[in-house]
Amino acid sequence: MAYDLASLDAPFSSLQAYDWGADAGFFKAIDDAVIAAHGDAAVRAELEKRFSAILSGGASRAAKEYACRKLSMIGTAASVPALAPLLLQKEHSHMARFALERIDGAEAADALRKAFSSLDGDLKLGMMASLAARRDGASVPLFAALLAGDEKAAIAAADALGMIRDAAAARVLEAAAGSASGRKSLAITDARLACAEAMLAVGKRSEAMAIYRAIEASAAGKPSARPTLMAAKRGIVACLDATP
Amino acid sequence: MLKRVSRDPRSPSRRKFLKTTATGGLAAVSAPYILTSKALGDATTPPASDRLVMGGIGVGNMGSGDQGAFLGRSDVQYVAVCDVRQKWREGGKARADGRYGNKDCAAYVDFRELLARDDIDAVHIATPDHWHAIMTIAACRAGKDVYLQKPETLTLREGPLMIAAARRYGRVVSGGSQRVLEDYRAIVEPCWAGEVGAIKSIDINVGPPSMACYLPAQETPPDIDWDLWLGPAPWEPYNPGRCDGNFGCNGGSWRSYVDYSGGSLTDWGAHNFGGTIFAADLLELQPASVTYHPVSADGKDAAYVSLDYPNGVAIHCNRPQHLRTEKPSVSHERGIQITGDGRAREAKPVPAYRGSGGIYGDFLECVKTRERPFRDIEPAVNTMTAPHMVAIAVRLQRSLKWDRTTQRFTGDEEANRLLDRARREPWIL
Repeated sequence: MAYDLASLDAPFSSLQAYDWGADAGFFKAIDDAVIAAHGDAAVRAELEKRFSAILSGGASRAAKEYACRKLSMIGTAASVPALAPLLLQKEHSHMARFALERIDGAEAADALRKAFSSLDGDLKLGMMASLAARRDGASVPLFAALLAGDEKAAIAAADALGMIRDAAAARVLEAAAGSASGRKSLAITDARLACAEAMLAVGKRSEAMAIYRAIEASAAGKPSARPTLMAAKRGIVACLDATP
Repeated sequence: MLKRVSRDPRSPSRRKFLKTTATGGLAAVSAPYILTSKALGDATTPPASDRLVMGGIGVGNMGSGDQGAFLGRSDVQYVAVCDVRQKWREGGKARADGRYGNKDCAAYVDFRELLARDDIDAVHIATPDHWHAIMTIAACRAGKDVYLQKPETLTLREGPLMIAAARRYGRVVSGGSQRVLEDYRAIVEPCWAGEVGAIKSIDINVGPPSMACYLPAQETPPDIDWDLWLGPAPWEPYNPGRCDGNFGCNGGSWRSYVDYSGGSLTDWGAHNFGGTIFAADLLELQPASVTYHPVSADGKDAAYVSLDYPNGVAIHCNRPQHLRTEKPSVSHERGIQITGDGRAREAKPVPAYRGSGGIYGDFLECVKTRERPFRDIEPAVNTMTAPHMVAIAVRLQRSLKWDRTTQRFTGDEEANRLLDRARREPWIL
C-alpha cells in the first residue's frame, strides 16, 4: 500500500514551527515515515524534499537539527544543495556534517572539501574530521598543507591523515615527520603507525616495515619517545610474524 | 614488594624523584618536600615509589565509586581528578586529599591536561558514553593504561579504533563491568563445566535503546563547562535532565538519550549481554546477523530481535514466552535462559580475575604484569557489538547481516550510516 504522504503535512507544519521544549509528539509520524521510506524511492525523495525545505527556510536551530538528523538517514545528492550552505554557519555546521558525512557520492564530498577550503578555525577542523571519516583520498593534499602550520590544526591534520591511511597519506606524513616536534610530532607518528598497520593488514609488509623502521630510528635514544619506540618495535615484530 | 611498572628509567618522574629523596637526595632539592610515613610506606603499604600513579576522568556517580575503589588500594597513589562539573571535581579532590591527609590531588576541567602529565601511569574513565572512545584513545597515545566504565562504546565504529590504540601502544585497557564475572555464576559455572553441552539457544531480557532528547533550554549554571560536557556530541541547550548522571534510562538522565548513551539496552545490556556472552564463551565472536521479528499480526506479541553467532548459537532478546519452545538447561534470575544439547562436554576452567580486589584489582595486577585483564577491551568491544546491532535493527525495523572483517552491514546502506556519527568540531576520531 502506498504511503500516505498527505498525512505528513501537519507534522511538517509543526516541525517548521518547532523549538526546544515544545510539544514533540508530532515527531513520531515523521520518524515512522523515514523508516517506511526504506525501499520506496518516491517516499524517500518526497521526505528529502521536505527536510531540505526546512533547512532552507527560517525554521529554528532545533528544527534544522532534526532535519539534518533525518537526512543523515535518507539523504542523497539531492540534499546537498540545502546542506552545503549550513556548513559555513557556526550554528549549523556540525549538524550539516552529521548528514553529509553519511551521504555517499561525489556531491557530498565536494561540498565538504569546498567548505574546508573556505573556513578557518574549528569549523575547518570539523570538515577535516568528516572527510577523514569518509576516508576521502582527494583530501590528502589539502590536509598535508596544514601539517606545517599551527599546532592545533597540524595535530588534527595528522589525525585525519591517519584515518585516511592510504599510500599518499603515508608519504605526506613521512615528509612532515622530520621537522615536527612535541605534540605535533607525536600525532604525526601516531598517524604513521596507523598507516603502517593498514599496509600490513593488506599484505604490504615491506612498506609497513619501512615505516616502523623509520619511526624506530627517529625515536631511539629519546626517553620521551619511549611509547613510540615500543610501538614501532611491536610493529616490526608484527611484520616479521606476518606471512609473506 | 610490588613489581614496578616498567617506564623509561632515564625519564625523570615523580616516582624517581621520590625514590631519590627517600635515599638521601633531599638536600639536593631546593623546594621543601616533606617525606611522610605514607610516602615511605610501611609493613602493609608500599612506598610511594612503588605505587601506581593514577588519576580519574569523570568522578561523579559511577566515577566516584571507581575512584573510591582505587583510593582504597595501598598499591595506588591517586594524584588527579578531572570533571567538567565543579561539584564532582571538588568532591573527587576532597576524597583523594582525605585519603592521604594532604591537599595534593590536582583537579582539572579538561582531560587533556590530566593526560599530559607524564607521572600518571593509569586513569579510570567514567564519563558519559559519548566521550569513552576519544578519551581512551587519547590516554593510550599518552602512554596511560585505562580502566573504562561500561558500556565501552557508543557506536560500532569506535570499538576497533579503541582496540587498535590499546594494541599499538601496548596499553592495558580494561572495561568496567564488574557484574560479568561476579553476578552470573549461576549460568557461567554449569556452561563452563560442560554440563549444558553445546549451547544452541539463549533468551535474554534487555531494555530499550536510547531516545531523542527534546528537553527545553535552561540557563547554564556556572558550575559546569557545558561545551566540554557536550564535547563531540551535537550542541544542545543545557537542561539538567540532559546531563544528570543518575542511573535511570527512561528520561531525565544522559543514559536516556541517543547522543550520549545507548540507553538501557547498552547500559544494563553491558552486564546482561556480558554475563550471557561470557557464559556461552562467545567473547571472541561477533554476531553474523541480527533478525528483527516485528509485532505479530494479531498484535499480541511485541517485536523482538535475535542475534545469530557464526558458531550456531542464537541469542533471542525479549522473545515472547510462548515462543520459547526449548527447555532451558540453566537460567538466571535476570531473565536469562540458556539451552544446550545436553550432551556433557569437557569442562573448562572458568577465567578469574588476577590479583585481589575484584575487577579493580584485576586491572591493577595487569598494569603491573602487562597481561590482558578479564574484561580486556577486545572482548568488551565484541560483547558491545551485540546490543549495538540490536539497537540498529530495532531502529530500522529490519534484519541485517554483519561482515566482521569489514565491520559493515552487508547490502544495507542505511544500516551502515548508523555505524558512527559525525563528531562536533574540533573533535576527531
